[in-house]
Amino acid sequence: MSISGDAPARPTPISRRIQTVMPYVLLAVMVGVLLALPLLTGQSATAFNVYDALQLWSAYGLVTLGVGLTMIAGEFDFGVLGVFAFCPMIAVKIGEYDATLGLALALGFAALIGFLQGVIVAKLRLHSMPVTLGFYIALLGATMTIGHSQSVSFSNFDLGTALDAQKLQILSWRSLIAIAAFAGIYLVMRFTPLGRDIRAVGGDRRASRMVGVEVDRVLILVFVVSAVCSALGGIMQAYSFATALSDPGQMPLKYGVTAAILGGVSLVGGIGGALGIAVGALTLSLLQELFSILAAPTWVSNLITGVLLVLATIAAAPDLSARWQSLRTPRVLPASPPTPAAE
Amino acid sequence: MSETISSAASRVALRASGKPKPATFAMYVFVGLVAALVIVGAFTTQGFLTAGNFRAIITSAAFVGIMAVGATLIMLGGSLFSISLGLTTALTSIIFMYALSLGIVPAMLAALLAGTLIFMVQGAIIGAIGANPIIVTIGAGAIQDGLIGWISPGDVVPPPGVDIDFLARTYFNLPVSVYVFIAVAIVTDLRVRRSQFGRELYMLGENPRAARAAGLPVERLTITAFAVSGCCVAIAAILIAGFAKNVNLQVQGTYTFDVIAAILVGGNAVTGGRGSVGRTVVGALVIATISDILLLLGASTGMQTLVKGLIVLVVVVLLHLTQREGRAS
Repeated sequence: MSISGDAPARPTPISRRIQTVMPYVLLAVMVGVLLALPLLTGQSATAFNVYDALQLWSAYGLVTLGVGLTMIAGEFDFGVLGVFAFCPMIAVKIGEYDATLGLALALGFAALIGFLQGVIVAKLRLHSMPVTLGFYIALLGATMTIGHSQSVSFSNFDLGTALDAQKLQILSWRSLIAIAAFAGIYLVMRFTPLGRDIRAVGGDRRASRMVGVEVDRVLILVFVVSAVCSALGGIMQAYSFATALSDPGQMPLKYGVTAAILGGVSLVGGIGGALGIAVGALTLSLLQELFSILAAPTWVSNLITGVLLVLATIAAAPDLSARWQSLRTPRVLPASPPTPAAE
Repeated sequence: MSETISSAASRVALRASGKPKPATFAMYVFVGLVAALVIVGAFTTQGFLTAGNFRAIITSAAFVGIMAVGATLIMLGGSLFSISLGLTTALTSIIFMYALSLGIVPAMLAALLAGTLIFMVQGAIIGAIGANPIIVTIGAGAIQDGLIGWISPGDVVPPPGVDIDFLARTYFNLPVSVYVFIAVAIVTDLRVRRSQFGRELYMLGENPRAARAAGLPVERLTITAFAVSGCCVAIAAILIAGFAKNVNLQVQGTYTFDVIAAILVGGNAVTGGRGSVGRTVVGALVIATISDILLLLGASTGMQTLVKGLIVLVVVVLLHLTQREGRAS
């Protein structure tokens, strides 16, 4: 049930090491570019730019965490787009009366949606793409129905102001909550058997079952965590903007997938971690902030993000090295068959 | 051609035993419910049982149908689906409008070439090095989104003096798009069922590893499947431009997911190797019919989208279960 239909070629240890180091190299390059900005363009990045990048990271970074975890487990979750739309709508609608109740209900719905997706994928052994796509379309429809196809405003501005208030110049409660979520999942994956199990399920599901990994339980948990993380990112953004959108579009997924790949998550499953995902998402957020500093139009950002994603996908393609080898190896023509006369 | 969900379910049931198994029974119940909904809707919804409404259903199915027929080849070949289909629709329709200043035929050729090439490049990356189709098409979508923003900051309309009304004209009470839909479906279906390409595409989708081992031209098959799909997207984009008269990024609408929904609701296997163009045509018509009933009942766009998502979900689950029962027996 791996997201790459064909049997993947496992990376060699060297490429594996490159894959592990690459997210940090990319982040260092990104930071270097921002620091060198005054020399290159005469403009400079301030603490506010870092704060702004972390605000984006706190919303889309959590979607990246969700998508990245499902990719590590060898699945793919379109449903993150659905909960990113649906749960903020619930949180804002109910939050008008009681913000805590709105948040709790919305996160409860997210957990339920993730659970249902996980159960269908794990128990029925169904491909996760059509299942989560069905959930996404249905949830988008539900969001549009609840919001009457319009953005719904949230009158509790104080909550948004409190969430966005700058802490230590570059942080806010939003980014601190996101950091806590990343840290929690990093610690669980690093120090409990669950991290190993998630990678094992993504790497070789059949072998995982044979050695006693509770594959179904792991998959269900991954989908629940994915949905809750994405919902949390969406809810915090909605509270912050004091608005829930009826259709947030596909940007969260595009960002999430690109950032996960930049963060070293393998498309064939079994490779990656919360720290790499956090770093990948931070790199992409800083890149978006760079475009903002340079006042580049949106299409430039889209174009570069798309090119980055395609290049990263090509670099991670399972048959790339084999293809490269076949191009480098000169073709040996078969010897001519002996002619009847020679015989 | 019209191998429907119910016929597939009944085949499985007959193969197993005289008594349908739970999932097959559930599939019968679902198909029955959908049929009942259509019949009840037909008799209780004012305006449903009219020639004008049937024309509206087939017309609304035409654009999605043309694109879905092409995209069926991608799914049959095991490359899942394209997430950037809607954006290619918008981009090719914009190219068509811009190129109209050169004349109608060069504009059509430019749009067809653009659509085919955009998809071919994606097919080449996927077929040649086994890159993940979903990620490649998401990336290609972002690039096209950027290109649209670059070349077209606002609405694009046909230049003065160029008449594209014929693209939306009706003949025998049906718009051109319906005839194009029928023609595209027949030609593609014949090509898939009666050619070496079609047979090899099914084999590739059924078992990619075996297809490679057997020496099938995996790369060429994938590129061709994508090229046909891109060409179909461009055909639909030209017709959409003819209807809309002005195009922009918003042309993409919900085509990407509507097309995937039509293919899945038709009962094509998402992992490839099983399905047909006929199933996709049925899927597109089923979705158009249900949307039409909901529209006549006054349901909002959101409610229509919600129902569409639930239908996709139910069909995917039930079809998987019936196929699993079929394999087990």
